[in-house]
Amino acid sequence: MRSLRISLAATAVTALVLAGCGTTSERTSGASPEASKSCKGADGKYTIGMSQANVAEPYRQRMDDDIRAAAKEVPQFDVKFADAAQDNAKQVADVENYITQQIDLLIISPNEAKPLTAVVKKAYDKGIPVIVLDRKVEGDAYTGFIGGDNVQIGSEAGKYVAEKLLPSGGNVVELKGLAGATPQAERHQGFMDAIKANPKIKVIADASGDWLREKGQAQMDALLKANPKIDVVYAHNDPMAEGAYLAAKAVGREKEMKFIGIDALPIPSGGIKAVEQGRLSATFTYPTNGKEAIAAAKKILVDCGTVERSQILPTRLIDASNAAKIYAEENPTG
Amino acid sequence: MTDVQDKIPTPVQQASGGVAATLFRFQSVFGLIAVFVAAIIFSPRKNGEILFISADNLANVVRAVSEIGIIAVGMTFVILIGGIDLSVGAVLGLAAVGSAVLMVENDWGFLPSVLLVLAIGLVFGALQGVATAMIGIQSFIVTLAGLQIARGLARIWSGGQGVAISYGDGPKEAPSSFAILGERTFGGLVPIPVLIFSGVAIAAVVFLRISAFSRHLYAVGGNEKAARLSGVPVVRVKIAVFAICGLLASLAGIVHAVQLNQGSPNDGIGYELDAIAAVVIGGTSLMGGRGSVAGTVAGALLLGVLNNILALNNIDSNIQLLIKGLVIVAAAALQRLRPAS
Repeated sequence: MRSLRISLAATAVTALVLAGCGTTSERTSGASPEASKSCKGADGKYTIGMSQANVAEPYRQRMDDDIRAAAKEVPQFDVKFADAAQDNAKQVADVENYITQQIDLLIISPNEAKPLTAVVKKAYDKGIPVIVLDRKVEGDAYTGFIGGDNVQIGSEAGKYVAEKLLPSGGNVVELKGLAGATPQAERHQGFMDAIKANPKIKVIADASGDWLREKGQAQMDALLKANPKIDVVYAHNDPMAEGAYLAAKAVGREKEMKFIGIDALPIPSGGIKAVEQGRLSATFTYPTNGKEAIAAAKKILVDCGTVERSQILPTRLIDASNAAKIYAEENPTG
Repeated sequence: MTDVQDKIPTPVQQASGGVAATLFRFQSVFGLIAVFVAAIIFSPRKNGEILFISADNLANVVRAVSEIGIIAVGMTFVILIGGIDLSVGAVLGLAAVGSAVLMVENDWGFLPSVLLVLAIGLVFGALQGVATAMIGIQSFIVTLAGLQIARGLARIWSGGQGVAISYGDGPKEAPSSFAILGERTFGGLVPIPVLIFSGVAIAAVVFLRISAFSRHLYAVGGNEKAARLSGVPVVRVKIAVFAICGLLASLAGIVHAVQLNQGSPNDGIGYELDAIAAVVIGGTSLMGGRGSVAGTVAGALLLGVLNNILALNNIDSNIQLLIKGLVIVAAAALQRLRPAS
């Protein structure tokens, strides 16, 4: 009987219809889970599902690594990882698979807010606590959000330029992230508001480098030709800042200007090393929140406690004075 | 002219080549059975329940397959005539953006929006057909250009960013009737995207069985010159095929937008490759003239089941890519062994 059912189900169209007919999509909305419901205390074993938007970005790879490292310290935790490769539809399927697997807690860094909202709510409504990292979802069907504040990071960068790099004014070139991305808009806004404090600073040109090193380099090639006097290059992330540095170096102008970036990834190809090695003047940390996510998971599952609805982590300025020290701190094993 | 045409073998005649030929013809169906059984065996269990065959999970599988499946049916037609369509993922993105912009920003109704978006896909595909059939540019090149053009149009139309869809009767809201397409299920049982995919697949199979168009299709794919000499309207067949493919890609785009409550110009990147993979696993020859829609449906489901069981077992995403690549190679290798009909 079973084999009959299998062979039936397996034929192409039959499988379609069978599976479709078997659907019992119940929707228990409104019932928000108590943290204690999933909490079995220190003796429990917990499976955590981590849904990552796109591991191909170094920042997100580091986020996964930070989660992995932090979870190692909690013997009750077993963390699974899924990569949506920047595809919203794939990320929806990833979360649905976690729901099928009946995980105990979901950590998600959504690719985009709107498309992921419904499936995150579905998980939450099934009583799975949800911790949202870095990018938000809409509504309030999640347990806690942990992220950085891009406006504040942009503002710190602007303050640094206005007070430290160009106290007596100068020309700034801005290399922006991918058009339409929220961090791009916020890192721009914060920066512009902060440099207003020093009216002698002018943003003389901007270009979009789409977060990419090679694009940053190509855009800078053109900006260098068009602008004989550039004092500071403000890039929305470190790879674009590095690209701009390489472009300036190619025409022998890298000493004329300062380069600053954002993200400060503590990896060999990241911004902290670039500051340590003198290519960038400064970068600003954009925390991955991996450690904090596991801490929150531990609070919910093991300690039966509650977590803050929204936890915004502060940025840190990395310059020549602290780069080496912070790099070592972030990579304790070397 | 018709009596010459009648000498062109029908797909049914082509297939009747003994047991071995039948086995190869339905390789993807057997492959699907094998993967399905393997999925049951390797499925994680919880409280004695086999998670893979839970109703919820199977619904997830077929829902996730629907979009690629709809595209792949169109792709089958194109590949049957020996062509390829690289633009389908971008057309999906364009259609997703179009649905969102028309309904949310322009406050259009459900039906006019969907009809216009479908028409755009149809015309876009037909134009690609014209370029390859009448100007004689290879379809690979035409649709490579089409990919860029559709992506560019999608970015321009959306202002470069995702257009969120929320439902209601107010301004800047999509009509609630649109939500039914994606979220809800028909009679509480079958997800609507699955119904649409099934409908498209069944319509395509029936169409290929009963219409003379089918014979023309296989004839053009088998030997274009011979087909032309036997009076097959090659140009018309090609334009129709690309038009169908564009139409189905934009239908998939509408389904995509409603499932994700958003139309983004970056939707559907790389979907053309998944669709081609489904067609190849389905046993359709990239040389044209040989293959079936049923095979493609089985191929798409096979990929869907494979994706699902690998994810349920939390196989590393890089290893998943590797395994999927090997399955595609294996399917193509099997075709080389297939006896000539």
